[in-house]
Amino acid sequence: MEKSIRKATIAWLLTAFLVFLVMVTLGITMRLAQGAQVSLSPTTFYAIMTMHGLGMAGALFSGGLAVIWYITSHSCKVSLGVSWAAWGLFVVGAVVLLAATLLGGFGPGWYALYPLPFVRPAWPSWATGASIIALILMGVAWLIFQLDILRALAAKWGAKRLLAWEYIAGKTPEEPLPAQVLIAAMCAIAGTLGTLSGAATLILYLLKWLSPSVELDPLLLKNTMFMFGHTIVNVCIYCGLCAIYYVLPRFTGRPWGVNRVTAIAWNATLMFVLFAYFHHLYMDFAQVKALHIIGQLASYGSALPATAVSIFGIGSQVYKSGVKWSFTPLAFALGAIGWAVGGVGAVVDSTIMVNTYFHNTLWVPGHFHTYFLVGYVLMFMGFLHDFFKSSAERFAVGSLVTMLLGGYGFLLMFYLGGMSGLPRRVSSYAAASFGGLAEKGATLATLGAAFAIVFLLGAIGFGFSVVKGRGAAPEAGASPDPAS
Amino acid sequence: MIVQIAGLITLILSLTIFAVAFFVMRGARERVPDGNKVVYKVRKYYAMVLALVLLGTFSTTLLYTPYKALADTTPAAVVKVTGHMWRWEMEREGAPGPVVVPQGATIEFAVTTSDVTHGFGVYDDDGHILAQTQAMPGYTNRLRMVFDKPGTYHVLCMEFCGIMHQNMVASLTVE
Repeated sequence: MEKSIRKATIAWLLTAFLVFLVMVTLGITMRLAQGAQVSLSPTTFYAIMTMHGLGMAGALFSGGLAVIWYITSHSCKVSLGVSWAAWGLFVVGAVVLLAATLLGGFGPGWYALYPLPFVRPAWPSWATGASIIALILMGVAWLIFQLDILRALAAKWGAKRLLAWEYIAGKTPEEPLPAQVLIAAMCAIAGTLGTLSGAATLILYLLKWLSPSVELDPLLLKNTMFMFGHTIVNVCIYCGLCAIYYVLPRFTGRPWGVNRVTAIAWNATLMFVLFAYFHHLYMDFAQVKALHIIGQLASYGSALPATAVSIFGIGSQVYKSGVKWSFTPLAFALGAIGWAVGGVGAVVDSTIMVNTYFHNTLWVPGHFHTYFLVGYVLMFMGFLHDFFKSSAERFAVGSLVTMLLGGYGFLLMFYLGGMSGLPRRVSSYAAASFGGLAEKGATLATLGAAFAIVFLLGAIGFGFSVVKGRGAAPEAGASPDPAS
Repeated sequence: MIVQIAGLITLILSLTIFAVAFFVMRGARERVPDGNKVVYKVRKYYAMVLALVLLGTFSTTLLYTPYKALADTTPAAVVKVTGHMWRWEMEREGAPGPVVVPQGATIEFAVTTSDVTHGFGVYDDDGHILAQTQAMPGYTNRLRMVFDKPGTYHVLCMEFCGIMHQNMVASLTVE
């Protein structure tokens, strides 16, 4: 059984990692085009932009779900059939999406803000329909995958226990709840709700595509689309944390269990993850004002459990633990640092007063690329290295250093661009011919692309390190009881 | 000014995170049973300070949202703004032709769109973004602002709106 579980997990992890590398390449192409280093027609640029956004979020979310599914399989009976069915649906969806964007030219951005996909599109109608169906297939894949995780967890631990409410009530259960159960449940619940919001949106889009006379409300659909996109992207990081909570104790020799503080923190995180997306709509003045305030409150609130519990938790795991800084714990620690740094940029931008200046500028991709590229992705790689029992430590650490140099350089260009007021999602800055914006935009994009190439080389190097050293590493440390 | 402060805060906090992380990771090499108790002690104070800072910032900054900006003033000019794929149509009420608005007075932009969502971003001639709001089909967003200096101001589309989005620029004059 363990072999079959590993095989299914490998299918997901490899798919996620390979799609990630392709999407990084598309991202570099976009920055090179913005820097006028390569020539792309706007149609091609925006099709690439759409694929980059959807592909990156889709691959990393799938990878994150695979991580928590695999971890869940160690204590619960997960369904192999569901995993393979979900993987098949995801791959078919991804292939159709690649064809619709890169061949068909579908290019309304990942969020396809209603009614953009249906008004004077620069691509054929089949590309719109194919993209909507592809996304529905991927959504169904994620939905059944997450529901299976929740089913397996509930069957083993009981549905009432999954969010550790007994700890909040001050009880001490006879059988302690492992931390990874609480985190996996939180991820799957938030992810499921986000996916359902996306499903509702996409079904309405499908209806509109089939029957163009149907009129929908743009503000409502913007809410449901961001509830989907923001939530699944946010959940990725918590999937990465699930890996850290589960794997890191093997390296530090310190158990990491649930207590009242962690239970409260993760329940609060679930709420914050679901309501923070309102910060994407701050500049929609027609939105109910209370929702803007909830958006800022949830965004600020998420900083408290994230840092005081998870970041400090990682700190207490490693501090004076005698841990050997091999690739996996190092990638986990550096990933947590990247997450925290990205979080600072995110919290700053989630301040309504500040968002007036940063909304839809390069500051936004700056902060979310931070907690992805040098945050979650490093956590994911730490898990991959451990999962494949890679022994190519020096090669992997060298790749990690390369990724950090390239990654932070790449990100700095985004932040500087955001502070310069440069808009995101433009194929060229040439028309912004005042205040030196066009020149700044092109220069920062070119430098960003150069740094991103360095990052990509590091990421490819990491991939080679796993291929080269797989299966040869001894088990790290004695495994402490994670439930205690 | 707000942009510079936001950038500075981000830089200082990021450097602080790196410094603390370096300290913790260096201290990880040595094995001391229960050596991590100090982390939990620090956490208590950290959580309290962070909660206070967040609460303070939250309540203070909410006084300066764009939704109620200049709500108690009467606009000296109202400019109707309609986004189209891919151009801005702007007209000052009662004054057809190129938009000219007075310096130092409240100006209201009533922003909507005839097709898809656009983003109405106002920049000064030095390339600094001053304010923005979205232009969404079926809704009118009212943005109020005061131009402190005379001169040419620019409008960029801040929301992706199709293949010519990057060219959707306009300008207005402040006298």
